[in-house]
Amino acid sequence: MSTHDHDHDHQHASGEHHHHDEERGPESYYAARTKALESLFREKGLIGTDTVDRVIHFFDHEMGPFNGARVVAKAWTDEAFKARLLADANQAIKELGLREGIEGENLKVVENTPSTHNVVCCTLCSCWPWPLLGLPPYWFKDPVFRARVVREPRAVLKDFGVELDSAKKVAIWDSSAQVRFFVIPQRPEGTEHFSEEQLAALVSTEAMQGLGLVSTAQQGA
Amino acid sequence: MKLQQFLGGIEGLGPVAVEKRVFVQPWEARLFGVHATMMGTSIWAWPDLRVKAEGMNPLDYFKYRYYIKWQGAMAEFLVERGYIEAAELDALTQRFLDNPDTPLPEKGNPHITDRVIDYLWTGDDPYRNIATQPKFKVGDSVCVKDVPLGIHTRLPGYLRKKVGVVEVVYDGAYLYWDKGPTDGLGTPQPVYNVRFNTTDIWPEIPDHGDVLYNDFFEVYLDSVQQQ
Repeated sequence: MSTHDHDHDHQHASGEHHHHDEERGPESYYAARTKALESLFREKGLIGTDTVDRVIHFFDHEMGPFNGARVVAKAWTDEAFKARLLADANQAIKELGLREGIEGENLKVVENTPSTHNVVCCTLCSCWPWPLLGLPPYWFKDPVFRARVVREPRAVLKDFGVELDSAKKVAIWDSSAQVRFFVIPQRPEGTEHFSEEQLAALVSTEAMQGLGLVSTAQQGA
Repeated sequence: MKLQQFLGGIEGLGPVAVEKRVFVQPWEARLFGVHATMMGTSIWAWPDLRVKAEGMNPLDYFKYRYYIKWQGAMAEFLVERGYIEAAELDALTQRFLDNPDTPLPEKGNPHITDRVIDYLWTGDDPYRNIATQPKFKVGDSVCVKDVPLGIHTRLPGYLRKKVGVVEVVYDGAYLYWDKGPTDGLGTPQPVYNVRFNTTDIWPEIPDHGDVLYNDFFEVYLDSVQQQ
């Protein structure tokens, strides 16, 4: 999509507002319409002046992929915890002080192994385990990802820079009802001496849905 | 038939856009905040948004970015339900376009914020603790029904008429939505996790031994006669 943002000062006859808006760039239109929505909500008493800021702060600091990374690091270092996590994720995450919440009322954790690589998707919309990962990134919601990943997971993994070992089987989890799936990636070699904090820092959002691997190599950006 | 209900398995689409950000424009985060408020104050629920998404022109569905689609759905819904008027939204949009530095009004309902945050910590658990008699048990072969097409579904189109094996019978029953049009999800019912071989779904793909799991509301499943 073009985000070219000319600030044309063309004057059009009335009735050509829409055309005029497009020339200024669609993003400024969407931004203005979002402000208009929030503004109307405030006028009508449907929202507080700080509600939107609090929601944004909530997903930056309370409910985000940093929660899932802590769960992975703990599972990698504590076999008994991992067993409890695989059996009942909603109970097990409470041991880490993590809370359930929206889109995490029914969590299911699965584990990548030398023989099986798990991949999570939602072909009907964008169901995602919010308490562990926050909000879904764009790729997860991309209709192309959702269309392709169920039929050709290996090719989609290549789009993410992941070349899967040909001996591995892929298990795909399509989230169509109440359960939200979460993947424990494989622990990389050479991390035996890492602390839980160091391990958590290696784990990407993508790895916790099976669209990335975890490695100790520094990754660009 | 709505393409959005049949996305899984479409071929020829080219590479995935691997955009790892959640929001790519600042307005998207603020729009999300308004959406969360609508959820937390029961103005709408996920199925309302999904009805809008499934009802879109499928070419637009592929063309527009996620939060652009959300914005359209939110505005349409709010106008349809009488929360706002289209004319006031358009006029105010134009005002912010003409004067982007216009501040938002310093008024609102101060009680809404805690209510929304509490909602984010609580969610809407669809679990219903009622006695059920699940029709199927773990290990049963089941066939996915080819139910009549509806305005809104939780049945991925690519699984219609496919045969799989019940992996999990979830405890109790789940109510998806009884406030709008679905293809049979308006009453609490058992939900099953069903395993498929991907080559049983798409016989033409190479056999890597891959499997696919999907959760089904009971209304979508039929038994398979044992041979």
